[in-house]
Amino acid sequence: MKRVLTTCEFCGCGCNFYLGVEDGKVVAIYPSVSHPISQGRLCIKGWQGHEYIHSPERLTTPLIKKGNRFREASWDEAYELIVDKFNQIRTRYGNDSIAVFSSAKCTNEENYLMQKFARACLGTNNVDHCARLCHASTVVGLATTFGSGAMTNSINEIAGAEVIFIIGSNTTEQHPLIGDRVLRAIEKGAKVIVADPRETQLAKLCSLYLMHKPGSDVALLNGMMNAIIAEGLEDKEFIAERTEGFESLKETVADYTPEKSSAITSVPEEKIVEAARIYSRSKKSIIIYSMGITQHTTGVDNVMTTANLAMLTGNVGKEFTGVDPLRGQNNVQGACDVGALPNVFSGYQAVTDEKLRNKFEKAWKVTLPPQPGLTLVEMLNSALEGSLRAMYIMGENPMVSDPDINHVEKSLKALDFLVVQDIFLTETATLADVVLPGVSFAEKDGTFTSTERRIQRVRKAIEPLGDSKPDWKIITELSSRLGYRMDYSSPAEIMDEIAKLTPIYGGVSYSRLESFGLQWPCPSPDHPGTPYLHKGSFTRGLGKFSPADYKTPAELPSHDYPFVLTTGRVGFHYHTGTMTRKDWALEREYPTGYVEVNSQDAKQLGIKNGQTAKVISRRGEISLSLKSVDTIAKGVVFIPFHFAEAAANKLTAANLDPVAKIPEYKVCAVRLEKG
Amino acid sequence: MKILSKSNLVPFLEGLGLEFKVNAPLYEGQDVLFGDLDSSKLATDFIGKPRLSPKEYSFPQRERLFTFKNNGGVEIEAHLNETKRVIWGIRPCDLYGLKFLDMVYLSDYVDPYYQARRSNTILLGLNCNKAEESCFCSSIGTGPFAREAFDLLFTDLGDVFLVEIGSKAGKKLIEKQANLFTNATSKDEKQAGILEEKSKKTFKTYIDLGKVEAKIAGASSSPVWAEEAAKCILCGGCNWVCPTCYCFNIEDVTSGDKTQRVRYWDSCQLGGFTQMAAMNSRATQAERLRQRIYHKFSYNPDKYGGEIGCTGCGRCIDVCPAGINIAYILRRVAN
Ligand code: SF4
Ligand code: SF4
Ligand code: SF4
Repeated sequence: MKRVLTTCEFCGCGCNFYLGVEDGKVVAIYPSVSHPISQGRLCIKGWQGHEYIHSPERLTTPLIKKGNRFREASWDEAYELIVDKFNQIRTRYGNDSIAVFSSAKCTNEENYLMQKFARACLGTNNVDHCARLCHASTVVGLATTFGSGAMTNSINEIAGAEVIFIIGSNTTEQHPLIGDRVLRAIEKGAKVIVADPRETQLAKLCSLYLMHKPGSDVALLNGMMNAIIAEGLEDKEFIAERTEGFESLKETVADYTPEKSSAITSVPEEKIVEAARIYSRSKKSIIIYSMGITQHTTGVDNVMTTANLAMLTGNVGKEFTGVDPLRGQNNVQGACDVGALPNVFSGYQAVTDEKLRNKFEKAWKVTLPPQPGLTLVEMLNSALEGSLRAMYIMGENPMVSDPDINHVEKSLKALDFLVVQDIFLTETATLADVVLPGVSFAEKDGTFTSTERRIQRVRKAIEPLGDSKPDWKIITELSSRLGYRMDYSSPAEIMDEIAKLTPIYGGVSYSRLESFGLQWPCPSPDHPGTPYLHKGSFTRGLGKFSPADYKTPAELPSHDYPFVLTTGRVGFHYHTGTMTRKDWALEREYPTGYVEVNSQDAKQLGIKNGQTAKVISRRGEISLSLKSVDTIAKGVVFIPFHFAEAAANKLTAANLDPVAKIPEYKVCAVRLEKG
Repeated sequence: MKILSKSNLVPFLEGLGLEFKVNAPLYEGQDVLFGDLDSSKLATDFIGKPRLSPKEYSFPQRERLFTFKNNGGVEIEAHLNETKRVIWGIRPCDLYGLKFLDMVYLSDYVDPYYQARRSNTILLGLNCNKAEESCFCSSIGTGPFAREAFDLLFTDLGDVFLVEIGSKAGKKLIEKQANLFTNATSKDEKQAGILEEKSKKTFKTYIDLGKVEAKIAGASSSPVWAEEAAKCILCGGCNWVCPTCYCFNIEDVTSGDKTQRVRYWDSCQLGGFTQMAAMNSRATQAERLRQRIYHKFSYNPDKYGGEIGCTGCGRCIDVCPAGINIAYILRRVAN
């Protein structure tokens, strides 16, 4: 049996394991014991989730749509058709009439090439990916306050913290190996505070649980800061030396007395004060947050408010402190890092900055567009309006993952031409004119960057199935045929180019990644990498307090739609389920969707546990079985979004944060009926 | 008893390679894993155990059982693996694990797939001169030095291995390369005895097996089950790494006109497992945790003449992202 060490394809924890290969097939998994995060452990997806690699449903040849059906095609045919159509559309409607969806599932090298393809080959900044849907608000919010939009500290520090404040993260389910560190911290006596509208597993094991209303995060955090300042628990020295804007913060939070905060959040006053005391009294306090904070129309406000809290108490810029946004997908951090975003090149270098643009123009030998491109949801809107005519989607499934699917479907159908590159014929791929077969992580080389900024190797273990090709190879071939030559012999060579153009990745090369990677910023070949950010001074110099007032979510419950729907995931499935739902063990745990309802609400509705409920929003309706629980607030219901047949995103609204343009997946109004 | 100088280990194993597939613990970076013999990576001085036991050479994570054609289903091809195999470097706990699996799969009911692999496999053990933090084989009585279930047993005496013969098959292996071995003296054997006593003093994890056996039946309503299960993140790891866990699931994978029947390791800690195996409603996690421990310390001994279904290897402790520790649970049960 051949064994190949690689990085898990399922979440931002970035565990490493060996793939056991026999007769060209992945048949076994061995967690790496010496890896700093896995330490010989994995979650069920890591142990068990890789059956999809050899699924008979894998795409093994390009497909071209004829009428309503696909026929198999050669690569030449598929490429020629794309080249013709893209050229026609560009000539007729201009460069910005095409957009590219990159993928947090794919490697850094592929994402880098995809944004280069959009910018240098197609001449548009219309490139985005699903980070828009999960942490766009983090990138903006933490860049504003600290100067860098990434997890400030490292995963292993969590086990050494004295206080961990978890808000809007179901850590043990969604980031299991980070949950492992929280549990270790509890074992060692750390105090854990959990704030979540759902009583998660950690909410049951923590010292203090705050069940706040969905979307009331700013009010909760402002209330805590009010209490901290009222009791003089702020870190005056840190504020004076390391930050600016404290007065304006003080002014804003002065309004949020525990009483007011409690009225908005429905968390009892004493608990708000207690949380404030616990968090501020330790010098080893960590904030962990995830999509409960980011996926709101106030996502950026929420993120900045967590950063304010950390600065107020001096809990940032040191070991065992910090603000730790947990990135969901395996490479969503990396896809952002290497510039699969409409406003920045790799390393968050703004496309609007002439000097930086010139640097890329020189390296890529081409003139680049100066104005930022469209974000993901804007792309779909433009498609419907008719200004966007073609799209190239790599490894994403917006027909399940994006808000308001009925709208997504209309938008994609309105396009003149759609190319989808994937490993399965997903709900999105079925709408395509041309489908290109990419490969799984086991069939290619590359790197993923984990949530703790750790750039790690992905290693090829088996040959691509059938006629499929590594995604990076497809991009280079298509680009070359479109007239912009891309010649790379290997992903290592692509990384060398990334390093040359990207200061935070400046010291990265494959030879240096052999022993479990490097944490960026790593600016030079002799730099050891950076376990925690903002030591001594913030990336932006002084930390900037950025106070925000509480704003209500965009869609509030009403007489006709009395419940708040909040969406999310379960620990056994990954995203739109195209991979994990092909695995018997994962599928056996959660074969389909369900709606979680407070038992008292369920009783009032007259729908019993296990019975079918119809859930209806202003945008659509779905039917699924009801799960009656005591672990969710009254008036709130939860639906996991993995399941196309009961797609939560038929219900959600594409209400966006005004700056980050992230949709509010965590709040929309619905009504429930007996199904 | 024989002596094999350390420098002769690789020649010996490579010699075996002429006739057998040889598996041994290998260094992959800093990890130790069983693999196909590669003398440049051979691990002889590792402490403790590879994360997965050699169980998978007899009972793989994923095994094709047979293939049948869908056109009527008459053509069936069974995939019995009869590779002649020698595994070197098996820890005493894992030797016991294989002995236990043999009882399960080769006694009342004989599993042909397991039998094909196992009956062609020769086991060469390697005693432990030092315990890892999680090891508690000394409490179960399966280690740190093995007494049974090996064809040959190696003890690291410093520059040489003392080699004990446990079966005819083992003896034959030595005879074929007799020039590599010398006879052991009573001094060597005495030294091994001293090493065993020393090794026993390195254990940090203990249970009182007698007390556990006496009290476990009455412990079913202990709060320990719910307390510990509350942390479980349902990774299945405690099952995947356990050398005695033998539950599997069967799936048919169809591609074109061919269907393969594949068997996979399964995990009793998962909700779906209990739903399939026992009842229609999902048991609570506390019940599943209790089931796992009861299976090893109560049901198995009842069924297999007192043989405990736990080797004391401690792997389930190391692998658990929730810090659920079987030794701690057993200590609670005993008190
Ligand atoms: S915790 Fe995340 S990275 Fe680790 S095995 Fe699970 S899905 Fe993979
Ligand atoms: S139950 Fe745990 S300690 Fe016992 S044999 Fe299995 S893995 Fe080893
Ligand atoms: S290893 Fe731990 S967390 Fe995983 S299933 Fe077993 S008890 Fe649960």
